[in-house]
This record gives sequence, structure tokens and C-alpha cells, in this order.
Amino acid sequence: MGKILMKGNEAIGEAAIRAGCLNYFAYPITPQSEVAEYLSRRMPEVGGVFLQGESEVAVSYMLFGASACGARVFTTSSSPGISLMSEGISYIAGAQCPAVFVNIMRGGPGLGGILPSQADYFQSTKGGGHGDYRLLVMAPASVQEAVEMVMLAFPLAEKYRNPVMLLGDGLIGQMMEPVEFPDHLKSEPTNKDEWATNGMDTRGSNKRNLVKSLFLDAGKLNEHNLMLKAKYDRMKQEEIRYELYNIESDYKALIVSYGTMSRVCKTSIDNMKDEGLEVGMVRPQTLFPFPEKAIYEAASKESCKVVVSIEMSMGQMVEDVERSVKGKLPVRWYGKCGGDVPTPEEVIEAVKSFL
Amino acid sequence: MKIVFGIFNRLIFGTITLIEPKLNQGGVSRVEIDLDGIVIIVGNYGSGKTEVSINLAVNRKRAGLEVRIADLDLVNPYFRTREAKARLAELGIEVVVPPQQYMQADLPILSPVVSGMIRQPSQLTLLDTGGDDVGVNVLAALGAALSGKKIHVLQVVNPFRPFTDTTGGCLKIRYEIERASRLSISGIIGNANLIDETTVKDIYTGYDFALGLSKESGLPLKFVTVAAELMPEIDIKHFTCPVLLIERQLVPPWKRSFSLASKME
Repeated sequence: MGKILMKGNEAIGEAAIRAGCLNYFAYPITPQSEVAEYLSRRMPEVGGVFLQGESEVAVSYMLFGASACGARVFTTSSSPGISLMSEGISYIAGAQCPAVFVNIMRGGPGLGGILPSQADYFQSTKGGGHGDYRLLVMAPASVQEAVEMVMLAFPLAEKYRNPVMLLGDGLIGQMMEPVEFPDHLKSEPTNKDEWATNGMDTRGSNKRNLVKSLFLDAGKLNEHNLMLKAKYDRMKQEEIRYELYNIESDYKALIVSYGTMSRVCKTSIDNMKDEGLEVGMVRPQTLFPFPEKAIYEAASKESCKVVVSIEMSMGQMVEDVERSVKGKLPVRWYGKCGGDVPTPEEVIEAVKSFL
Repeated sequence: MKIVFGIFNRLIFGTITLIEPKLNQGGVSRVEIDLDGIVIIVGNYGSGKTEVSINLAVNRKRAGLEVRIADLDLVNPYFRTREAKARLAELGIEVVVPPQQYMQADLPILSPVVSGMIRQPSQLTLLDTGGDDVGVNVLAALGAALSGKKIHVLQVVNPFRPFTDTTGGCLKIRYEIERASRLSISGIIGNANLIDETTVKDIYTGYDFALGLSKESGLPLKFVTVAAELMPEIDIKHFTCPVLLIERQLVPPWKRSFSLASKME
């Protein structure tokens, strides 16, 4: 099959089907409703289930229930909807069930707006819901990358028995780009016998699977959280993904940027190169785990004088960038958070102002 | 300079106009679409209705027509005609959009100006609707204004999009649109493209697809589109229908849209 032209939202839906996910529960919200629209049409064609929940809270527990039974599940929403799902996400993480969440971010806080934003960085990387859990968070910068990340999200969710979050902004969901789909994945989690309540007979084992996040005994809960922490530490060892751009040059400034914003930054970097100003970029593809080492190494280049975190939020990523740079260089922020994506010219002006 | 090619005139559905040589693209004569009156652009979601509408408006304006265009996309809040409003206004094309304070709302707001512009149409009145059948529900609401008017309802098709990669898929959406809008589609616009990755072969494949759809549906192929950057590689003689040059306006923020003003003499 050759390339086809797809909206990010449609491509995310199709990628989930190709990843063998036949259970999609959702509640519509701009700017990601096209995923639901697409899958309401496609799921019946492939023998899957599309179910519109009565709320995002309900949807998160539908995912929990289906995942507890060993099914591959996913949902999509946008910022306020993810806030509502956060309770369920915490329960799913606590009960160690795999599930994939897609957040096509819009402006906030509150109802905010419907235009692109990256203001849910804290929400997805630092918690969102209650308790000591982390999400594995991936941030695509193109429709093709969204497809690849969705198809990677399911095996990763199952590997860690933990929710995986795909964090895109409104533009990733709404823009159209040519895409190609990889081969279909197998439609069932291979390790589901570890947790699924699918009957001991089915598993051919006498081990009882109990899905729960309640541990009344202090020692047991501490033990449980230590085990979860060990998983998150393993993610930091094995799952960091990032892209380097113009890193071979003697850059004067280093940009850290992800998603749609990084596409703009690439254009800015190309334009500055034409003017004779070299700027490099580290683009985190995973936001948790964060590519700390890559940023530290890139910031260690002798020619580099400043690190700039460029994002469509009020600087939510800055703390992670500072932690990565370890005080080696000043870390600055540039961004907008109302729905207007900064232009390449605005990024250039900001970078120059920091030099 | 307007030249009517009699021999082609039976094959195509309008006259062919050669633009002044100084406006030629890459040495290829640009043929023009002879459309006027009320033109309603419909099609499945993401088929390229807005990009076609904007470029058709520009094309007809350059041909000397008075052009007004209404953004009737009440369905999708991104990549709408309203984004090109300022650039079109510079060319003297009036864009009718919802009031400023509701511009970025995902609310189905239909400006009362729209029924007025249908009742007293410009030389070309273009209505750019939203996608699929839900996108044309708005047309049923304009039924009274449209009643008795001579209108063209043109379906944009891109075979590189999901659900319209077969003739059957295009006909299904045709019937759904006709049912929702209570209007009959009167022609096809071939808009085969993969945006930046479109090849000459894709254009020819898309043209063949559109011809096949035209034959199957009995609807005339009004024109096909070709992106400006591909035009130098295209053999214009390959087509028996007119070609609309697409100077892309709806681009993501890291890309530059084509300058429309620079082409105006």
C-alpha cells in the first residue's frame, strides 16, 4: 500500500487498528473529535468496538475494565478531557494495566481555547492524577511519527504494564500529511496472562490474577510503590528517545523543543544557518523519560552559550531542561500559550535576544 | 486575451482562456475554468475544498470577475477559509466569515450575510462548505435563498484520501451530501494530491480516477488541480479538462504560503 493523505487524528485512529487495538472508548472534544469520527466508521469494519462513553471519567474506567480483561485498549481526548480521565489513569497505573491515552492538547487552563497548545506538559509528565505514578510520554512532531508512536505505544504499555500517553497538540491532530502504515501488529498482548482476569483455565495456570490498586497495609503499599518506581527507573534506562538537529555544527545556542513547536524551530534553524548563525536542537521524542543526558552533552559543546526551551506553554519544560543542563549554561524560555503557534521569525528573534 | 478552442469545447465544460504569457507558469500555458454565478464546493472531509475554493476565487478574480467567498465550514475549527481572509482581501476578494469574536469558536455560526450574498450574487459567489454530509447540513438551511437560483454544486475528490480511494466511496459520499444538503451535485473537481509529496504520476493517476468517476456518475469533470511547484513538470496536453493551479495557502506555521499578491499585475 502506498502513501495516503491523512489528518493526524485519522492517522492516529488507523494506527491503533494496525497496532491490533480493537477497543476504542471515547468522548468527543475539539480538536481531536476526528479520531472518534474515524473509528466509529472503521471499528465496525474490522470487527472492533467503538463506544462513546457518557463522560471522560466513564471512558477511563471502560479502559481499565477492558485492560483488566487482557484487551488492548486506547482512548483519545484533549486537555480538559484528560483532566477528567486522570483519576482513572491513576487507578490503571496503580493496578498495573496497560492502556494507551492520546492527548491532542488545546489551550488551558479551564476551558481555555480550541487552538494548539503544549500546556499539558506538567499534567502528563509530572502526574495529572494522584499518587506515585508516572506515564511513559511520547510527543510526535509529524503525522507519520504519530502513526509510529501509536504503534509503539501498545507494546510499551504492555512491556511496563503501565499507561502510555501520546502528547500531541491541536495541529498534530488537525494537519494533513502523507503517511505510510507499517505492517499490522498481533492483536493481543503477548504477556496478558501476567495480569488479565481471563480465567485460570484459559491461562492453564492455578495463579489467580487480581487487578487492584488498594493496599491498606502500609508496608505492602510501600513495597508496591517501590516496585512501580523500579519500572519507571527502567523506562529511564531503556525508553529515552530524541532527535538531534544541526548538532554537528559549532552552534552558539541550543534549542530544546518538541512536537509542532520543533517543526517551527527547524525552519528557524535553517534560516539562521543561511544568515551564518548556527543553532542546534535536541528534540525530545519521549518527555518522560526525558533525554537528560543528550541535552547535557549537547549543552557541553564549547561554542554553545545558551540553552533555550521553546514550547507552546509558559515554560513548563524549563525545569527539566535546567535539570539536564546542570547549571552548565543559562536556560531561557520562549513560547506562546494562547493558540498562536510562534512563527519561525519570532523564534529567530527570541534566540538572538538571548545571545 | 480569451481564446475559445472549439475542438476542446465539446470535451470540456467551459471555455479555455489563455492567460497573458507573462503570467505563465514554467512555460506552460495555464488554462482557466469558465465558472461563474453561485458555486458551492462540497466533498468529503479533508478532500481539499478550502484550498480549492481559495485558489478558484483567486483564479476568477485574476480573470476579472467580481468574487465573494463565504466560509461555511461550521464543522471543523482548523484550516478554514477565514485563515486566508487577509490575503484574499488584498486581492479585492471579499470573504464572509462569522463575526470576529466567534472566529475561533467551534460553534455552528452562520452569518446572515450569507443568505444576502446568495440573493444578490456577485459575478462569482463561492460557498466553501464543511466536510462530509454533516458539513453541508448548512445548505439545507439556506434552501430558501438558493431556491430558483442557478447553482453549480461541485464535489472535490482526492483518491489519496481514506474512504474516497474508490469510485464507490466517492459515490457514497455524493449521495450522503445530496441527501443532507437537498441539492444535486452537478460536477466533479479532481484534486488528487499528497501535498508536498505529490508526484507527476500521482496527478495523472488522479486525473484518470476523476475521468472514471465522471463516466460512472455521469457528472462532468469541471477541472483538475495541480500545485504550482509541480506545474513545470506537467504536460498540460495530457488533460482534456481545464486545470486549476494551486498556490497553497493553508500551510502549517513552519511553512510559507504562496504569495498571491505577487502574481497580480
